Amino acid sequence: MKPNVFRSIRSMRWVLVVASTMLLASACTFGEGDDGGNGDGGAGGSVELTIWAHRSPSFNQAIRDAARAYEEDHPGTVITLETFAYDEYIQTLQTALPAGNAPDILHLFGTWACTYTDFLRPVPEEMISLADAQERFFPGPLGGYTCDDTLYGLPQESNVEYGAILVNTQMAGEAGTGTDGWATWDELIADAQDLTVIQDGAMIRAGYHFTAFDGLAHSFLSLILQAGGSYLNEDGTAFTLNTPEGAQALTLLKSMADAPVIDPVLFNDEENWVGDCYFTELCAMGLVGPWAVADYAPDYPEVAENTVYAKLPPLEDSEEFVADSGWGMTVSTDSPNAEVAWDFAAFATLDAEAATQFNLTSGTLPALVENAEGAARDELISAFPHFETWFEVLPNARFVGQLPDRDKLYYEIIYNHGLAALRGDETIEQALQAMETEANETFG
Amino acid sequence: MASETIRLERRRRLFGGREGAQKRFVTAVMSPAIVFMAIFMVLPIVWALALSFFDFSPRRTGSPILGLGGDNPFVGLEHYRQMTDFSSDATLNVRQFHIGVKVTLLFAFIVVPVNLLITLPLAAMIESVHDRARPIFRTIFFLPVLASSVGVAIMWGFILHPQNGLLNLMISKMTGKTTVISWLGDPDLVYFGVPVALLMVIAAYLWMDIGYNMVIFIAALQAIPRSVTDAARVDGASAWQIFRHITLPLLRPTILLASILTMISAFQVFDLFQVMTEGRPDDQTLAMSLNIYRSAFRYQQMGWAAAMSVVLFLIVFVISLVQARLLRTKWEY
Repeated sequence: MKPNVFRSIRSMRWVLVVASTMLLASACTFGEGDDGGNGDGGAGGSVELTIWAHRSPSFNQAIRDAARAYEEDHPGTVITLETFAYDEYIQTLQTALPAGNAPDILHLFGTWACTYTDFLRPVPEEMISLADAQERFFPGPLGGYTCDDTLYGLPQESNVEYGAILVNTQMAGEAGTGTDGWATWDELIADAQDLTVIQDGAMIRAGYHFTAFDGLAHSFLSLILQAGGSYLNEDGTAFTLNTPEGAQALTLLKSMADAPVIDPVLFNDEENWVGDCYFTELCAMGLVGPWAVADYAPDYPEVAENTVYAKLPPLEDSEEFVADSGWGMTVSTDSPNAEVAWDFAAFATLDAEAATQFNLTSGTLPALVENAEGAARDELISAFPHFETWFEVLPNARFVGQLPDRDKLYYEIIYNHGLAALRGDETIEQALQAMETEANETFG
Repeated sequence: MASETIRLERRRRLFGGREGAQKRFVTAVMSPAIVFMAIFMVLPIVWALALSFFDFSPRRTGSPILGLGGDNPFVGLEHYRQMTDFSSDATLNVRQFHIGVKVTLLFAFIVVPVNLLITLPLAAMIESVHDRARPIFRTIFFLPVLASSVGVAIMWGFILHPQNGLLNLMISKMTGKTTVISWLGDPDLVYFGVPVALLMVIAAYLWMDIGYNMVIFIAALQAIPRSVTDAARVDGASAWQIFRHITLPLLRPTILLASILTMISAFQVFDLFQVMTEGRPDDQTLAMSLNIYRSAFRYQQMGWAAAMSVVLFLIVFVISLVQARLLRTKWEY
């Protein structure tokens, strides 16, 4: 009996061969299917658009509201929003885009946009030119969508993580420290020292937490700019971190660990992340963007009540700082209704009222310059009082630049060596040298 | 009559008779499983192997044939060649690969013996208690196996939190001094060359995993014929002698199975590292599985990640073979 069974198994090789051939054939369709997407459905017939976005109740509601408003003005157009958990969204993009299965519109984080240009349609010139876009949008958010002087999407928000910091007014009141900002770094460090609590040699409350992934990277890069340096060479083909300005920036950051107003071993991205740390009152001040208050306020209303944002001091009189781009609308090359998709994207991003509604619902800072002024600004400030400080610093935000691998630079290079320098495990020179070498490896 | 015989003979030739029916039955029964394996096991392995020869990133379109070639160029054995660069000039990717191999081997070679050292005596002890108490102990020790590994990682994260963690709180109570130790975040906490952060992940893994091997050993202990141990007892053997010279040798196939299964799962642990430490501090807990995931999905270096996964596969394969050879036994009871 057994030999028969084995013969049978051998005779089934064809099953494997057929299955493998079918799979290979189906896989060979990768990258096909671009029909030009002239949007013939837009000429009066019904058009169905699909948007993909990362899952976030406030962002998703803001997109849905824009879609409903657009549908009302364009009967026959139906817009469906599909959402994915953040990590899942990134992985879905990575598989769907090369496979040619992307939807009409992708709600993308601007800093990613240029890495996906093979799969995105450029913004039609007749919709808005790059020059016009540069006038209407803040440079920070728009920079992410500008790849080799071509626009691949339009931002809906400004994503800033530097320029102002969370300050617990109750703790500041008890310690007699400032809450209106500081003229110099020495003043800030002195206040942070007063707010730091050390018991039995262990830091149980940090005065100023800036040692998370984004906080440390944005602090370091912004301080290089403010010191008069640049972290990229002129043509953007190499990092220049091991410079006198780089040393000045890292030395200043290290002085805060030495003061000490932060213990980088106890307060970093993995342990006591700045948002958690601040709202659980383990930190008196913290460097994080304006979204954090809206995010944490429902769970920590008392702390949110005692929170203001205060402007960071300048270095060498410069207030310029680096910022990532923001979330915005892009249209995929797979879209068969590209014209309608762009029309909706234009409505959501260029229509000042629709853009304000997006910012109000999502609790984000505007990407449109005109929405940071006048009535729109007042409306946003009345909804989010802590935005006031951010409106002051927003014009100083400069897009971080087209980096070959932004995440690797931030999470693996600046963070690791920055913390090592702050802990004293690496000297300033060693850290800068290692950062520059490793950062330049990302250019490939 | 003759025509009936001819008809039957034709039918036999056409369908292969009883043997043909058996073949068709086996084919029908096994095809779904083989197709399933081909799609979900063989193809991904072949695909990973193929990717490892390309500088492949899903951000680039590449050629129309599976996206390979073009902007995702063929690099041959370049990834594997880079992995053998042990100089101080090696790139960050390569250095992290070396760290990953070291961390993974350290993790597996600590976890496997410690796991066996805990589970085997534990199983023997549970088997020695009263019949009514036995299921209670089995349930208690098996419960963590049922817990979600992410949940376990979060729970251990709470226990080990520097300011609010249970462990530091207990130490503070005992010493009367405020104790704030970063068990998972201090790169300078290293004992006998092993980072404490890694030891903490090992502790969490063992807590979660020992119930599994314990059940395997209990089943094996129950399968040992009573007559063998009774005979030893009649011959005057002590409990230790019975365990050392009878139970342990008879458990050898089970020890082999448990050690191979534990070794393989230890090499593949990802969730605990991802949730508890994310590879930090200073990459001290950057296991290969985590490094592969990060390279592939965070940094989009699929080709490099595929090459690392091939190496991980080979390491597990070779170690399993060695284990099987060292612990093999030629007899049954």
